[in-house]
Amino acid sequence: MRRPPHPLLLLGALLWSLLPLLWQLLTSLRTPEALVAPTPAAWLSGWTLANYRQVLLGQPPFWRYLLNSALVGGASTGLTLALAIPAAYGLQQQGLRLQRLITLLLLAAAKFPYVLLFLALLELARALGWGNQLLALAVPYAGLSLPLAVLLLRAALADLPPDLEDAARLEGLNLGQRLRRVLLPLLAPAIASTAILVFLFSWNEYPIALTWISRAELLTLPTAMARIAGSSVYAVPYGAYAAATVLGSLPLLALVLLFQRQIVSGLTQGSVRG
Amino acid sequence: MSLLLLAPALLLVGVVFLWPLLRYAWLSGHAASVLTGLVPLANGGANWQRLLSDGRFWQDTLQTLRFAGVSLSLELLLGLALALLLHQPLRQRGAVRAAVLLPWALPTTVMALGWRWLLNDPYGPLNRLIQGLGGSPYGFLSTPATTWLFTVLADVWKSTPFVALLLLAGLQTIPPELEEALLLEGAGPLQRLWRLTLPLLAPYLLLAALFRLAQALGVFDLIQVLTGGGPASSTESLGLYAYLNGMRFLDFGYSATVMLGMFLLVLLLTSGLLLLRRGWQGTLR
Repeated sequence: MRRPPHPLLLLGALLWSLLPLLWQLLTSLRTPEALVAPTPAAWLSGWTLANYRQVLLGQPPFWRYLLNSALVGGASTGLTLALAIPAAYGLQQQGLRLQRLITLLLLAAAKFPYVLLFLALLELARALGWGNQLLALAVPYAGLSLPLAVLLLRAALADLPPDLEDAARLEGLNLGQRLRRVLLPLLAPAIASTAILVFLFSWNEYPIALTWISRAELLTLPTAMARIAGSSVYAVPYGAYAAATVLGSLPLLALVLLFQRQIVSGLTQGSVRG
Repeated sequence: MSLLLLAPALLLVGVVFLWPLLRYAWLSGHAASVLTGLVPLANGGANWQRLLSDGRFWQDTLQTLRFAGVSLSLELLLGLALALLLHQPLRQRGAVRAAVLLPWALPTTVMALGWRWLLNDPYGPLNRLIQGLGGSPYGFLSTPATTWLFTVLADVWKSTPFVALLLLAGLQTIPPELEEALLLEGAGPLQRLWRLTLPLLAPYLLLAALFRLAQALGVFDLIQVLTGGGPASSTESLGLYAYLNGMRFLDFGYSATVMLGMFLLVLLLTSGLLLLRRGWQGTLR
């Protein structure tokens, strides 16, 4: 009874999503002369890889930012999960009224426009000497990700059969054993969804990274992109900008292709079930 | 025991979310700027008085409301259309979903830089197209009256996938039998949308609206990279203004006051939305 969508509508949706990115790819392969030619240059001439060479051999080289973002993303994800899994379990054990209250607060925090927080967090970083410490970013990132992470994991816990814990307890398993051997394997899909969402958030976070990190070789990808945008290091810069955009998008393209199922389930569960 | 498991996470959440608000409340009663060597000195309500008479604050408030209102409306409309499209049977479901999701997953600053090129005057592709059709290039990012529309465009492009996927999850909860029953009654597609889909989708629409409203009111990355708040401060958001007060004018006391003003605005509008829902649910009963 439901029919496949009209191919033109589908094409329109795909073009809307992908065309701006494809245009960046195209731009990144054109010479500066071809980009600013008064009439669009002939299609066969004006192709180059020089933009990529310029970005990859820059000082610091572009892969450095990708590495920094990956490191921060990994550390934040680990820290978030280490705190969120026990917290979700502990929340599930509380009385109903307290559960409701905490859930509500977490829900409000998860929707909070966190840009508001950067000034006080910057003060904290200065007091603790955490400025220009790449991995220290994992602490605020974990704090910002925890509300969503706890909500997601708690929703998954609530879906498990209630007798499961009791059975494991009767078997004589202590809390640590129950978590490791019974709950974690069953929670694996929810943990995967949570992990990928936290990683994406940390990879993309901007205002805190912007204020905590000033040394060029420690910048994460989003701050590096903004700095590139604000500088005029490149003579006719758009080819190089576009190359940076493409390189900055590739890791996320890979993540989305690999984990789209987990991302979608996390996004919807996190908002709906909390 | 179980409270001990919960405590570390709650503590960190408290430090990250609650501490800043308390700190701002305190800072907003103090002068803490370059003039005081960033040492906070109590100044009564001077920051708040300044806020009330600060034309730039109120202009940015209006601009932020305009941006959030228009972005949110377009994202709900386009997100609904996209969700209905993705709900139909597709052959390459996974690939299509990944393609649609991609704009949401990219860092805002990356694509904000991308949009600067797409909207470039005169070499960007949009202006090439206009020129190819015989027009003269348009200053998408340099015309104070219209530049905000293109910040909306970039936001809609990025955030619609989130709304669409949330609504798609809602669509999947609607039992197909209900739609078949309406179909037997002879209801057309618009009638089915109006009488069945939208009412059952309402909680999901509200969730998407709440989340997007809070995020859009806090817009910062996009504006800073795409326009820097210009031209002539016409696209400056409250988030950017608070940032400039703190980091460029080094006035922490006033920056904290602007942040609190912004927080009150977010609180007011999101709770307004929730009250609206309550009233609307009341009429249903």
